[in-house]
Amino acid sequence: MQLISTNFVILWVIFFALYYLVPAKRQWMILAVASGLFYVAGTGGIPVGIVLTGAGAYGCGIYLARSLEAQKLALSDIAEKERKKAVKQGFERRRRRVQILYFVYSLGILLCTKYMVVILPFLQKTGLTTPEGDAFFARVVMPLGISFYTLTAIGYVVDVGREQCTAQENPVKLFLFLAYFPAITQGPFNRYGKLQEEFERVHVFDYGRMLFGVQRFVWGAFKKLVIADRINLFVGNVFGSVNGGLPGSIYALATVLYMLQLYADFSGYMDMALGISETFDIYLPENFKRPYFSKSVAEFWRRWHITLGTWFKDYVMFSFVMSGAGRKIGKVAKKKMPRMGKHVTGIIGTMLVWLLTGMWHGRTASYLLWGVYYGVIMCISLVLESQYSVWKEKLHIKDGKVYGFFTMARTWMIVFVADVLIRSESLSQAGEIYRALIADFRLKEGILGVTDYGLNRYGFLLLAAACLLWLAVSVWEEKGKDVRRLIAQSPMALRWCCYYGVVLLLLITGIYGGSYDTAAFLYQSF
Amino acid sequence: MEEKVLEILEEYCEEALDYEGDNMMEEGVIDSFTVINVVSELEDAFDIEIDAKYVVAENFRNKEAIIELVARLLEE
Repeated sequence: MQLISTNFVILWVIFFALYYLVPAKRQWMILAVASGLFYVAGTGGIPVGIVLTGAGAYGCGIYLARSLEAQKLALSDIAEKERKKAVKQGFERRRRRVQILYFVYSLGILLCTKYMVVILPFLQKTGLTTPEGDAFFARVVMPLGISFYTLTAIGYVVDVGREQCTAQENPVKLFLFLAYFPAITQGPFNRYGKLQEEFERVHVFDYGRMLFGVQRFVWGAFKKLVIADRINLFVGNVFGSVNGGLPGSIYALATVLYMLQLYADFSGYMDMALGISETFDIYLPENFKRPYFSKSVAEFWRRWHITLGTWFKDYVMFSFVMSGAGRKIGKVAKKKMPRMGKHVTGIIGTMLVWLLTGMWHGRTASYLLWGVYYGVIMCISLVLESQYSVWKEKLHIKDGKVYGFFTMARTWMIVFVADVLIRSESLSQAGEIYRALIADFRLKEGILGVTDYGLNRYGFLLLAAACLLWLAVSVWEEKGKDVRRLIAQSPMALRWCCYYGVVLLLLITGIYGGSYDTAAFLYQSF
Repeated sequence: MEEKVLEILEEYCEEALDYEGDNMMEEGVIDSFTVINVVSELEDAFDIEIDAKYVVAENFRNKEAIIELVARLLEE
């Protein structure tokens, strides 16, 4: 079920009403039922992978909590320091084994479901499956948002083990955390401790908050339907061109638009998810902070898909660097390379995170290459960071608006190169596009033929106007202003003009399919 | 101890010394790469082991929090 669909809006309104009608201590149940329904409606059945991953996380969490309690009890009876250390290490070792077992188990389920797309055609060729069998499999085994669900479950298990939260004793409450419906398909990634606090607060109906939530939802839908889906008309035709051979200038424009499409699509979904959740008085973490204002790639990734970056940093990078193996590598590297050795574990950790980020986003070699590309750039920029100020001084470069714009443009270029890779249909097409961008730009031909790819002159004008509105809002937000509050405080006539204006623009200029259905969100496939 | 911690911070992340907020990691004052270097230096300097569970935004929110973390680990 898409967030922009009549069925979803009906479900939202019904559960919203029920949520504020039931006693405060039962409100979480309404959200749990809504999440369950959203899931079943989205997959057409009860997904086995979800149940198994969730049950594993529940059992593992309980085990870890019991083990931590037993450890405290055992340590309280021991006075000798060395003995205390040995007993503690014994408990820690057992907990680590159980955690590793759970990681293998849940990631195994994830890999099986994700790579089944590759395995199924092979099974079909050998006659081992039937179309009915495939349909059953797709419905029952390949669940909605399994990647988000699995990583969230792993995060929960790690947090319980690290004593950053207590284990959940109620399996339904744990399911609600793992499958909270606004966040399940594309995130944001939630931390158990924080979201559980949100669920447990008393939520009282507030008209202003409801309005803010709906506004954010509509703004997200505007970004998705008016900007992202309109860009898709052009980008889809350019990258989908079977014969290729288009001017480099057309590829350049398509890639720039794709950068905007991906951002409008994904951040649009986040606005909708956070807006829906806000109407229930549940605040989810922000996933975007205007990434295209970033002055470096590292900053870009601190502002883009923030919760995924934090997840990988906390659970993969730091876990690796501070593990026994990570420490050993660090010590050997420092001994053998006195100057560069201190960076070695950081470099390995960064590359590991980016390889995994690439694999998480897609199954093809392009995504793997995309991960390596960002990993290498991040490592180079981080290692050389201390040199930047020296070089700037030598070249007499001063901080200011011009230099600030240069650093932003540099970041756009790096993202541009990466986005060609992931938007192209294949590595060979990406190669062909890079060649055309450098050696076959044909600017005049590109300008004259720009309307031949599914978006006419009015389409471009409308897109430019929508993007300008988006830019104006982003600049305001970048300056620390709360746009929704500014509108809410403006005179009534202006306020309602803004509300109706955006809704009318959305209805009249949004790109809809049959029955007002919309294109799937891009990140849903990651 | 405080002086040594500040010395390490000065070497790897001078901005941390002037930072007066309480969210150094999320505000990008100290990136993950620098955190790793600082942790490694602190471990060597004080002969302590800083487990991944301590490397969270709260313990690296500002220089005072880092000093507190080291003091806590030295006590353990």
